[in-house]
Amino acid sequence: MSSPIILMRGVYGVWLREIMRATRDRGQMIGGVSRPLIWLLILGVGLNPYFRGEVYGEVRYVIPYTYLQFLFPAVIVLNIMYTSIQFAVSVIWDREFGFLREVLVSPMPRALILLGKVLGGSTVAMIHGGLVLILARFADVTLSLEQMAMALGLMFVLAFGLTCFGVVLAARVRSFEGFGVFSNTIILPLYFTSSSVFPLDPALTRTQTATAYPEWLVFLVQINPITYAVDALRGVVIGFNQFPPSYGPAVICTMALVFFIMALIDFGRS
Amino acid sequence: MSAKRPHRWLQAGVNIAFIAALLTAISFLPPDTSLSDRQEAGVLKVCVPPSYPPLITGNPAEPGYDAELVAAIAGDLGLRLTVNTLPAIGQDFNPRNWFLTRAQCDLVAGGVADTVQTRGFLQTIPTAAETGWVGISATGTMPPTGSIVGVLPGTSGLDRLALSGWLRQQGLRAQLLRSPAQLQSSLESGAIAAAITERFVAGTIDLKENAFGLFWLPESIFPHYRMALGLWKGDQTLKRAVANALDNLAKTNVLNALEARYGLDGAIASTAE
Amino acid sequence: MTPRRGSDNGTSSAKHPNAKVPAMIPAAVTVEDVRATYGTKAALDGVSLTIPRGSSFALLGPNGAGKTTLVNILCTLRRPDGGRAVVAGADVLRQPTKARRSIGVVFQDSSLDDRLSAWENLEFHGLVYGLAPKIRRERSATVLALVELEDWRDEIVRSFSGGMRRRLEIARALLHEPEILFLDEPTVGLDAQTRQRIWQYLDQLRRERELTVLTTTHYIEEVESADMVCIIDHGKIIAQAPPEDLKARYGTRWLHILPRDAAATKAILARYPAAQKLGSHSLALPAGDDAVTDAFLAEFRDSLSEIRFQEPTLESVFLSLTGRELRDRADGQRDAEKAAGKRGGRR
Repeated sequence: MSSPIILMRGVYGVWLREIMRATRDRGQMIGGVSRPLIWLLILGVGLNPYFRGEVYGEVRYVIPYTYLQFLFPAVIVLNIMYTSIQFAVSVIWDREFGFLREVLVSPMPRALILLGKVLGGSTVAMIHGGLVLILARFADVTLSLEQMAMALGLMFVLAFGLTCFGVVLAARVRSFEGFGVFSNTIILPLYFTSSSVFPLDPALTRTQTATAYPEWLVFLVQINPITYAVDALRGVVIGFNQFPPSYGPAVICTMALVFFIMALIDFGRS
Repeated sequence: MSAKRPHRWLQAGVNIAFIAALLTAISFLPPDTSLSDRQEAGVLKVCVPPSYPPLITGNPAEPGYDAELVAAIAGDLGLRLTVNTLPAIGQDFNPRNWFLTRAQCDLVAGGVADTVQTRGFLQTIPTAAETGWVGISATGTMPPTGSIVGVLPGTSGLDRLALSGWLRQQGLRAQLLRSPAQLQSSLESGAIAAAITERFVAGTIDLKENAFGLFWLPESIFPHYRMALGLWKGDQTLKRAVANALDNLAKTNVLNALEARYGLDGAIASTAE
Repeated sequence: MTPRRGSDNGTSSAKHPNAKVPAMIPAAVTVEDVRATYGTKAALDGVSLTIPRGSSFALLGPNGAGKTTLVNILCTLRRPDGGRAVVAGADVLRQPTKARRSIGVVFQDSSLDDRLSAWENLEFHGLVYGLAPKIRRERSATVLALVELEDWRDEIVRSFSGGMRRRLEIARALLHEPEILFLDEPTVGLDAQTRQRIWQYLDQLRRERELTVLTTTHYIEEVESADMVCIIDHGKIIAQAPPEDLKARYGTRWLHILPRDAAATKAILARYPAAQKLGSHSLALPAGDDAVTDAFLAEFRDSLSEIRFQEPTLESVFLSLTGRELRDRADGQRDAEKAAGKRGGRR
């Protein structure tokens, strides 16, 4: 019985518990999946005709994809954002209802407890994001196995960073109710300014961007890290990048690293 | 209290399977009405240029690859084909300038290149036809520095700026040609050491047997464009039906026969950079 | 791993281990002058105690006396603000991981995951403590049998009653075979029958496994069977001794009598002014030694319908030590039940 095996068992245990809790609750899972349905079915299909672009003389939509295709990767990101950040509720739950102590009195190092928990949360978020891929047919997106594997990889790292972000938030919020409000006020603005529902194409249409959108909005989109996460996933899923393709993965990995360290500091304090 | 011991992943598996099944079912919902509208009308309207050989020839006996293709597709879909001839198609690189309207066309054929610019306006289904800049010379390669090279730009919208830049960089002098006939006579008279034109145009020029060789210009600089059928963005169900019809045609070897008939199956040599 | 003694002395009673176990075996828990403060309020004010191996140690005190704070320090959840605590030979500040490995903890509030089954809770615990799969399965089955929950192994904990949860928690705390078991108010909010059952398990365990058990409680009747009772109030230890010693030192034996008629009652009250009325007819009089009893019986033998001894209790010990009842005992119980109900409702 070498020590790394013992520690890995611990991480596995914490991870397993998160997966069990999340996948056993059908209501929670359906809730997680109803969002992409609303976005793709209602918003995507509803707005699709307005982005057809056949009205000549006026440039309506310059992205070489249909609106559904364009929206599809962003819906995956939205699903991951919700699931990851709401994961913090599980952290608050453990803290409030005493389960945290059961783990804290165990010989497992706190960093590994956090790692197991965050890995569990990211896996669940990745599953929720991955389930959206089933709708690829609907959005007329064809995916090879390679693309799928890459997309899932990106989704996992993104989910990891966002889960850590959720843990950081949880350390600052005391109640469940407060967290619900808090997370919504964070998730939705981040999502809407991430170039998720409208394109912002600096390479192709610098002038068009300037005429189409006010400076402040362009600024918000450009400083929003989620913009680059959406862009990275678009690059993989529909082969479209608004920014240099290396930006997305770089931003996602940086987020994962920075937020994990922050979560570690917060968790060590609890 | 229970003797049964459900496997620990059972519940989780059931939930995930349930949701996956739900989503799969939903993914079969038609996202729009483009196909059902056509079926109701019983007509598939196709817009083509008057001539874009070998895709559209204007010759009723041998109407062209795309013309026969769309006819076969309409047949597979069980729709009557209506062809609208629009002179603007293929005259310009940008399909936005072709004055297409939804009322005239469900499908655009003959001269639609599968480029990012096209896809900004139409959605595309690539066909077997492929185009790009090709060179024609006696040696089958680019002539040495200082030679005069004739260029017949054609109408397919290939990147002319990149071509002239590249020619300058290679130290070649470009001479603009006006017609395939001029290209042929200049080549044969030796007024130009080589000619560069678009692939389909090159295919129509009746050069002396074995006297000249065709070759692609370096692909890293001049990408080959796959030709395509164009559909309106958002016509998802129609696009799926057309793609499905194409699959059927490929299975029954109709496609192969068409490709052979219009000379789209032959290989052209590539040049090293 | 529980250190087991050889079979030659394995049968020796765990009671009064100080008398039987040589001093060279280190104590299970040593606390020296530990202090803890919340803001300006001192929760622990220089507490020192020693718990010998294999003994049962009860920490008795009213709510807010500092019991839970002490337990939290001993199981490394809270750092002491002063002093030193050594658990199973490991300093809680310098070697917390080593200390954690040798303790099992049952918290005052349930720390089970109520969305998992009983078995999965044990599985989780085994994984976190790094037990190999085979050992995990074997021990899970053993501890589950110990607390008689085999039939519930695959039920989700949410459907468990308070007593079942507590039993499962005890089973879980034993899974990694700790040397020392900490139980923080293990019987709060449970009915009398369940409480008795839990104490049965704990006594059995201690006999079978040479386990050191530290219990905190404010149910005074629960510490009678402990080897050592430590009474704590306002963060200070006010008495520490085996329960019999405490009772002998601070408690008095009483004689409960039921006189035959009112005349007899009057006569007894006149003869023994220290006697106290209990209810409408009974009387209680202090009977510190047999001479008093003999004298009383000689005089009133014929006017009694019932007579029995009431041994001194820790209740009376606490009374004589602090000059008051175990403060807010009823309130404490109500609070605990309220908290449990609140949790139940929110789950």
